[in-house]
Amino acid sequence: MPYDNPDPTDPQELVGVELPGDECVTREMAAAFADEFAQLGYNRAQIQALYRNAFYAGAHQAWQLLGDEEIARLVDESVNVWSRVRYVVTDRPDEIEAQPLRLIRSRS
Amino acid sequence: MPTVKNWQLGRDMSYPYDARYPSRQFAFVFNINRCIACQSCTMACKSTWTFSKGQEHMWWANVETKPYGGYPRWWDAKILGLLEQANPGGQLWSGNASDSRSAPYGKFDGQTVFEAADRALTPESARVLGYLPTDEEWNSPNIYEDNPLGRPGVRNQLDPTGEQLPIHNTWFFYLARICNHCSYPACLAACPRSAIYKRPEDGIVLIDQAECRGYRKCVEACPYKKTMYRGNTRTSEKCIACYPRVEGTDPESDGEPMETRCMAACIGQIRMQGLVQVAEDGTWAEDRYNPLYFLVHIAKVALPLYPQFGTQPNGYYIPPRWVPRPYLTQMFGPGVDAAIDNYVNPSRELVAVLQLFRRSNRIIYKYEIQEGPKIYEGTLHGRKVELYNDTVIAFGRRGQELFRTTVEEPVHVRSNKHANSI
Repeated sequence: MPYDNPDPTDPQELVGVELPGDECVTREMAAAFADEFAQLGYNRAQIQALYRNAFYAGAHQAWQLLGDEEIARLVDESVNVWSRVRYVVTDRPDEIEAQPLRLIRSRS
Repeated sequence: MPTVKNWQLGRDMSYPYDARYPSRQFAFVFNINRCIACQSCTMACKSTWTFSKGQEHMWWANVETKPYGGYPRWWDAKILGLLEQANPGGQLWSGNASDSRSAPYGKFDGQTVFEAADRALTPESARVLGYLPTDEEWNSPNIYEDNPLGRPGVRNQLDPTGEQLPIHNTWFFYLARICNHCSYPACLAACPRSAIYKRPEDGIVLIDQAECRGYRKCVEACPYKKTMYRGNTRTSEKCIACYPRVEGTDPESDGEPMETRCMAACIGQIRMQGLVQVAEDGTWAEDRYNPLYFLVHIAKVALPLYPQFGTQPNGYYIPPRWVPRPYLTQMFGPGVDAAIDNYVNPSRELVAVLQLFRRSNRIIYKYEIQEGPKIYEGTLHGRKVELYNDTVIAFGRRGQELFRTTVEEPVHVRSNKHANSI
């Protein structure tokens, strides 16, 4: 198919092809993002900022469709559960090799 | 054509070479539920391996928006279309998912890219069903993924830039992709010079640049379109799985196997990569406390990408829980319903293992969980939730501890100034 002459009836072009996607699906997606980022330790304001950012197209589209209040409700619900805990990661301490002794002269 | 065992399809299939398996296999799990397409992985790979002249169109790691996106454009729609054309109405699964390691998703009754080639292609030297993407399909990753191709009401005309077009009403999810380092690579099968090989120690698939003559048979054959042709060297190139890091020979690795650059750069913490043990028959050898083995074979939340292609890819995905199931089933096979159920209602062990993602850049070979008391019970979005104060400990190649993740309840200590202010 020539690049500059697309066939509008070709489903690969996806012009005007309706795919299932409704408010219910969008709400589930918005809730999934809220859950995941709350688990990562993001706070309420940080997660809400993610939805308001137009560069994150999926989250932003949910924000546009559902509205700020509904998104805030979903985020509150997730944060209410996941902010109860904090994940603490402790690295194994590096084994420090013994350093050779050095003579340090006092300046005084 | 020889016959090999493909456990993802639950049956034997034909492949141009006899089966040879590595002792360990490079594999990874991506949790799509977390991906926001920040493209940090894409740029980490680009700035490490493909920043040179002639590599401008190369994105060994990329993130595309589904359902509209693809790099190269329409790659999956096109190969699915070719397979459907070769076997109309026959690309179906049968049987039920089971706990068996040799047929966990039932049985695929359709044709793979190798089997379809047997019947659909001429001349006989053509071993894999595929197609060669055009330059236009390669040259603009992510174009029109969020926007339609043209303005509303204007037919037969692409918008020259696209950035001012209205956005698509339907948005599904972001799909992050790298080479799957398949167990039965289509690129390797198609190479007429035998320039592509699979390493016996870690299953990484590489192109020998000294042997490659740029015939592009691998580009045509790879159903995931992850081999790319470089015009100025006249050879093909592909993801090398950052093998110096995986080997532990990279200066930063300090002798210990490290995860690849795209994994390490992931800010959404969606990625985990490892080296799984392979049994003599090509299935994953039982390794109960390897996190990848657990996610794929025990928790069954991670599924292969388009297993019906038949290459037995080693990239696994936790499918997004909000997306229409028929779309996901086509993409990840019949295990989708169980995977999403298990992810939405996670076991205590799964919650702990998910905490291993991106806590370290070292490859995790084993984990251990120290159970703690229950600290919360309630509901979330209408589902029951229980939180435990468990500690999950990750171990490296030599069995040494890498790190541990603990759940803590935040404690606020009132300052002395306000100690008696109530």
